[in-house]
Amino acid sequence: MRLTICWILTLAVVVLAGEVAAEGVVELVDHAGETVRIPQPIERLISVYGIGTFIVYALGVGDRLVMAWYVGVKGISSASEGMLRLEPRLEELLAFGDPNVEEIAARDAQLVLADASRHATFAEQMTEIGVPVIQYLIETPETLKEAVLLTGRALGPETLERANVFVSDYDRVFSVVTSDLEALAEDERVHVLFLGTDPMQVASGDMYQTHLIEAAGGVSVSEELRGYWNEVNLEQVLLWNPDVILIPPYGPVQPEDILGNPDWASIGAVRDGRVHRMPRVIAPMDTPVPESLLGLAWMATLFYPDLVRLDLRTEVDRFYAFYYGYELAEAELEHLTGR
Amino acid sequence: MTDSRGRTAWILVLVPPIAFLVALLLGRYSVRPDEAYRALFGFEGTSDVLRSLILRVRLPRALAAGCIGANLAVCGAAFQGLLRNPLVDSRILGVSSGAAFGAALALLFSARAAAVQGSAFVFALVAVGLVVIIGRRFGSSTLVIVIGGLLVSALFNALLGLIKYVADPLSNLPAITYWLLGGLSGIRWVTLPPLLVITGLGSLFFLLIRWRLNLLTLADAEASALGVRIRPLRIIVIVIGTVMVAASVAIGGMIGWVGLVVPHVARACVGPDHSRLVPASAAIGAATLLILDTIARTALPSEIPLGILTGLIGVPAFFLLFLRFLRARGEAR
Repeated sequence: MRLTICWILTLAVVVLAGEVAAEGVVELVDHAGETVRIPQPIERLISVYGIGTFIVYALGVGDRLVMAWYVGVKGISSASEGMLRLEPRLEELLAFGDPNVEEIAARDAQLVLADASRHATFAEQMTEIGVPVIQYLIETPETLKEAVLLTGRALGPETLERANVFVSDYDRVFSVVTSDLEALAEDERVHVLFLGTDPMQVASGDMYQTHLIEAAGGVSVSEELRGYWNEVNLEQVLLWNPDVILIPPYGPVQPEDILGNPDWASIGAVRDGRVHRMPRVIAPMDTPVPESLLGLAWMATLFYPDLVRLDLRTEVDRFYAFYYGYELAEAELEHLTGR
Repeated sequence: MTDSRGRTAWILVLVPPIAFLVALLLGRYSVRPDEAYRALFGFEGTSDVLRSLILRVRLPRALAAGCIGANLAVCGAAFQGLLRNPLVDSRILGVSSGAAFGAALALLFSARAAAVQGSAFVFALVAVGLVVIIGRRFGSSTLVIVIGGLLVSALFNALLGLIKYVADPLSNLPAITYWLLGGLSGIRWVTLPPLLVITGLGSLFFLLIRWRLNLLTLADAEASALGVRIRPLRIIVIVIGTVMVAASVAIGGMIGWVGLVVPHVARACVGPDHSRLVPASAAIGAATLLILDTIARTALPSEIPLGILTGLIGVPAFFLLFLRFLRARGEAR
């Protein structure tokens, strides 16, 4: 009898301990299919994945970063003014290249955000020395939303709430654009060519840029291409004859290069002057960062200014204030909403 | 003369173990020597992070660096002698292109790290197997073997291009590009046993036949005048050397210059006799790669690709050796 009571008591203690432990640990399955156990709270965070870094900022917990990789930033000199204002510690945090396991251990990180396509072995090593790693594979609007929610859950209840706000915001912009363009006939859709860091480089149908163009009611002329950036020739571009040409907010290409080039003169977009470089203050909004929500709003209002009811100025202002806690100067706001 | 030879031998025996210990002590996560010692031998009072870093990150990586450096250098020395060409390295016969294709093929199907290494290893052997078949069919002369290596490399490079063309750009293609850069940052214990076994057996083979390697440097006619049939031996050396290089490339990716330059440095130290050249190359190769990999993982907050370092050190080293050679011939002052 006494033994039985002892057993029951022991069992109760074990169960209670389990409950307590479960409360202090978040368990989730990342895009690599790995189950990640994350002890709470997370105070020291490292993102070796540039897109992941911007998710952290959008969730309002950039102050927890102790080291980070940034999309397209390979040195403090290539950081934008806005980036430096958002993150005054940039020089101390900024890293690039192949992450070093020991450096990350030395910085005492409690959680690492990584890219499933590049960091699988690195993730195994970090897990072995006891640092959990979330691996992302973001290529579509759906996977971006998942990634934001995963990150939110990993960083605590308040962050999760914010992640949910982001997802509903993202869905709202998508559905406003979709419903505004419902009446649009197939042959009224603008045909868009998205260039890379060279005028002869174009985005393939697999890239996030193409998803944004489609969500904004456009048709990507290079949609049938597979792969990453594709090399094409001028003949192919003339054949596509796009109505709009977009240039990403990074790389050396400027609209004048296209507009002033006689070889391109016969293309519809060039004749109508519809060649635009996407603006950038903090993140490149054509890549799968949270700010791509503005990328969508920017494209939709550019393609169909008379049909889409979104007020780009309000959206931009709201996004920067709420997600980055960043007050835009008038010139920056002009830049982000300009063409 | 004997004295200085003896001293050189001692230095060559001692340098790799010293480099190995230094590699265990150095890293971005700074460790005092006594802490490292305690962690290494499992004493109480060391932090878990420290112990796993030394035992699970540094130790396997240092072992791999030593083995790969030794393999590339020994095979480089053997192949340079065998093909009677001082400008070849261990990758002349298509090992690297085969391995790159094998790894890319496995990555195309999102295989795990072990499968990627296995596939790289198998296709490295397939590539050199093709060279050997071509060689045997047309008489195993060095010319046929070198041309065969050239053709097979070109074929696998084309196939690699094809895989990159069809790979998913968002997941598989970056993984392939990344693998091709090489480096030892992904080394873990589970990936190590094949490399250790192959390095051990291969080194033993080369130690045992190091006397006969000198015969391989003779032209076919001279050798047969001495009554030695060198063609079978040539094929055996190629096959075993290839297995060693394949195991190294499968784990470390493309690491250039070690197989080319280290044998020349060894030759400058101990002379051209293969009975001394082979062990000297192994020692210098192991020490070199241990030192360079320690720099690769210690110098900057992120990893420096190892191939960049071997190139930065290898090119000037080669140039200095070449200058020495020109001076010896009286063509430069």
